[in-house]
Amino acid sequence: MEGLRWRTIGAAAGIVLAIVWFAPNMINVGSWWPSKQKMNYGLDIQGGLHLVMGVDVDGVVKESTTRLMASIKADTAKENVGVTDIKSEKPESGELTLHFAAGDKAKVQKYMSEKHPADLQEVGSTDSSLTYRYFDAYMNEYKNKVIQQAIETIRNRIDEFGVAEPSISQQGTNRILVQLPGMADAEKAKQLINTTAKLDFMIVSNEKTPTELMAMIAEVEKAGGYKLEGMKYSDYVTRINNDLKGKLPEKTAVYFEKSGNAATMEAGAVPYLLKTDTDLTGSALDDATVGYDQYGAPMVSLRFNSAGAAKFADLTGNNSGKQMAIVLDKIIKSAPSIRERIGGGSATITLGGGRDRNQMMDEAKMISTALRAGSLPATLEQLEERRVGATLGQDAIAKAKLGAYIGAALIILFMLMYYKGMGVVVTVALGVNVLAVLALLTSFGATLTLPGIAAIALTVGFAVDANVLINERIKEELFAGHSLKVAIKEGYNRAMSAIIDSNVTTGATAVVLLYFGTGPVRGFAVNLLIGIVTTLFANVFFSKVIVDQLVYKFNVKKLSI
Amino acid sequence: MANNNTKNTATESSGKYDFIGKVNIFTGISVLLVVASLIYLGVKGINYGIDFKGGTEFQVKFDKGVSIDQVRHSVDELKLGEVGVQSFGDNNEFIIRFQGKQGATDKETNEILNQDISKIKDIILTTFKDHNPDIRRVDTVGPQVGAELKRNGLLAVFYCLLVILIYVALRFDYKYAPGAVFCLFHDAVITLAIFVAVGKEVNVPILAAILTLIGYSLNDTIVVFDRIRETDAHYHDKGYGFIINKAINDMLHRTLMTSGTVFTSALCLWLFSGGTVGDIAFAICVGIVFGTYSSIYVAAPVVLMMDKIMGKKTAA
Repeated sequence: MEGLRWRTIGAAAGIVLAIVWFAPNMINVGSWWPSKQKMNYGLDIQGGLHLVMGVDVDGVVKESTTRLMASIKADTAKENVGVTDIKSEKPESGELTLHFAAGDKAKVQKYMSEKHPADLQEVGSTDSSLTYRYFDAYMNEYKNKVIQQAIETIRNRIDEFGVAEPSISQQGTNRILVQLPGMADAEKAKQLINTTAKLDFMIVSNEKTPTELMAMIAEVEKAGGYKLEGMKYSDYVTRINNDLKGKLPEKTAVYFEKSGNAATMEAGAVPYLLKTDTDLTGSALDDATVGYDQYGAPMVSLRFNSAGAAKFADLTGNNSGKQMAIVLDKIIKSAPSIRERIGGGSATITLGGGRDRNQMMDEAKMISTALRAGSLPATLEQLEERRVGATLGQDAIAKAKLGAYIGAALIILFMLMYYKGMGVVVTVALGVNVLAVLALLTSFGATLTLPGIAAIALTVGFAVDANVLINERIKEELFAGHSLKVAIKEGYNRAMSAIIDSNVTTGATAVVLLYFGTGPVRGFAVNLLIGIVTTLFANVFFSKVIVDQLVYKFNVKKLSI
Repeated sequence: MANNNTKNTATESSGKYDFIGKVNIFTGISVLLVVASLIYLGVKGINYGIDFKGGTEFQVKFDKGVSIDQVRHSVDELKLGEVGVQSFGDNNEFIIRFQGKQGATDKETNEILNQDISKIKDIILTTFKDHNPDIRRVDTVGPQVGAELKRNGLLAVFYCLLVILIYVALRFDYKYAPGAVFCLFHDAVITLAIFVAVGKEVNVPILAAILTLIGYSLNDTIVVFDRIRETDAHYHDKGYGFIINKAINDMLHRTLMTSGTVFTSALCLWLFSGGTVGDIAFAICVGIVFGTYSSIYVAAPVVLMMDKIMGKKTAA
């Protein structure tokens, strides 16, 4: 039989690989074991919270357009451009129309092309009006930024909640999917996610040095017997400030900054003493963007609205030389130094040097995202919530397993009784098939969901289907008077075309499901696809190797079938 | 055609059972079933679950006997519109389902839904405090997402059928393709009708099950087609009726065997697992019965019909 040795080696290698991948699910493998990944269970099995939040992107764009209109109005008035009025019919698409006296068109056009060359394009005009709209690329980037900042805000909150392995990801153009496995207190998590981000600008007090602060914090921590680790960040901050009351100067509080390369807050919390009597919040800020200084180094540009500009000018005037902390939800994102009084409502934050450009760029993006999250918070709306208690998942998986085991047992019994010798081969192949399905699921890091378990049980059914096709074909060939060797060869060969066809169609439906499905349904589709591959391996390729081995190596003359 | 067929069977048997001879009866039955299912679905409407309709579903478990009326009564007090209560498993577990009132905008509807959820939660936790209430699952789908899931679901069905149509047409022959697709349509519609008739809700996983069924039902059909093609090569001097009948007869044993095994595994899943898995398994059980029937009595006759329409096969 051609290539039997190689096929045997291939089959053995496949099984060894499957065992290597699958083993970590069953036993505690040593550090020398090549694969350590375990099976992921879906939220429907392990319990947890699945939220889909809608981000009101249009609302943010609308608000941004309104602010832009106000600022253009103020600027054109100051520079005497002759704009009489600015209106917008569709602020959510970033469209605005400038009205002016009939002769001023060229002047207004010149002003706009000088001041807004990259963000606004002219889309229509009459003698006394000009209509502008954001460039599509600018608009898309803007919308994407809104989503990213909403994701950042949610991540900020979830991090503080201390959920193991949260998953926060963008879905479509205006959705965010939040998955919190094993989350017991869903209400609290929902509340946290739903609160709007709070941005504060606070002056750093020099009355205590960081070293002094650290010593004081360590002292009260020791006295109170608590640590940031294992606590919610906001609770910790409240507790620390309560305990330090009296020891700190009046109207100050301690907040923390997460140091640059620390993975967790616990590992990299740097304390700052902040003055609490500065009343400058996110509502004072119009926008924040990443820009470049004259040497091409990244920096953050801030633009305050008119009310904010005056306050900001005062604050910077009174505190030059000091640091101003940018605080989002009580976490210090950055604390740049104030060089001089900043009037006019525009400021820039230059970043400390000594690092490579990418790191600086990342920091600039992080700061501008934090600033925007606090100044133009996107409203989040809950669109879908699925919450599964841990006990339900356990019950469900136990029942599904029971059903799958009984089904498999009945089928095996039937195969053994009906096909006898070949039935044993089929049973062994089925076992290998299920092992291979679980191994592949594990190695892909795919998630096992309840519908996925149904799909695995069906895989067993489909796999038997393939074997019945083969065995019935072998029987037919035997009846037709062929020798066992010929019958087996023909049986496998001729059944192949039907097996391939049927698997291709099942595969096609699985791919469609994968594309259109969400959550558990995708799990179902992935399992079906994996099932097709393993069926071909175990019940066609591997079972043929066994049969060929029996017939050619061990010279079995008669195989009961 | 009938003459042709009898002439051929006189010289060589086309199999134990004369399927093609009774083709009219079964075509009648199939058409009747599909039409009846379509009318039924049209009149009764598909019982969409919250995945497609939007709304909320609670699963609550109590530690000792709470009657369904008690639960219904306490929830009715909230006046949240139509609320369905259904007992689940043994009598201590219930599913509470409601859609929530429509707000002026989607956003308002979402808000109303969220408020209703906490109201129901509160009333369950206070009224049945002594029964150790455990809210085991809460699913809420907002109206926008529901509409989107529905659209995606329908698109998925459409693309599945399209892909299969193209594959069968390429792999076999264009005259086989309508048979396969009609078969799938037949199976899907009847399964859906039965699913609705037993009062089960159609959710995303059920749609997935029906799509899988389409794939599986096709397995069977393709095996028969494969055999028809093979038989055609051997007996190409015989009429198409003879060939199809022989192919079906040859494959009958195998068809019943494979359907039987998949049916067994689906049946066990249905009987022993509740919830989503059980519903998927139920849909597959029903589908396999009709899928097997259709690959014998629907697919092949349509091929025969196509053959007639497109010009009778000429004897070589």
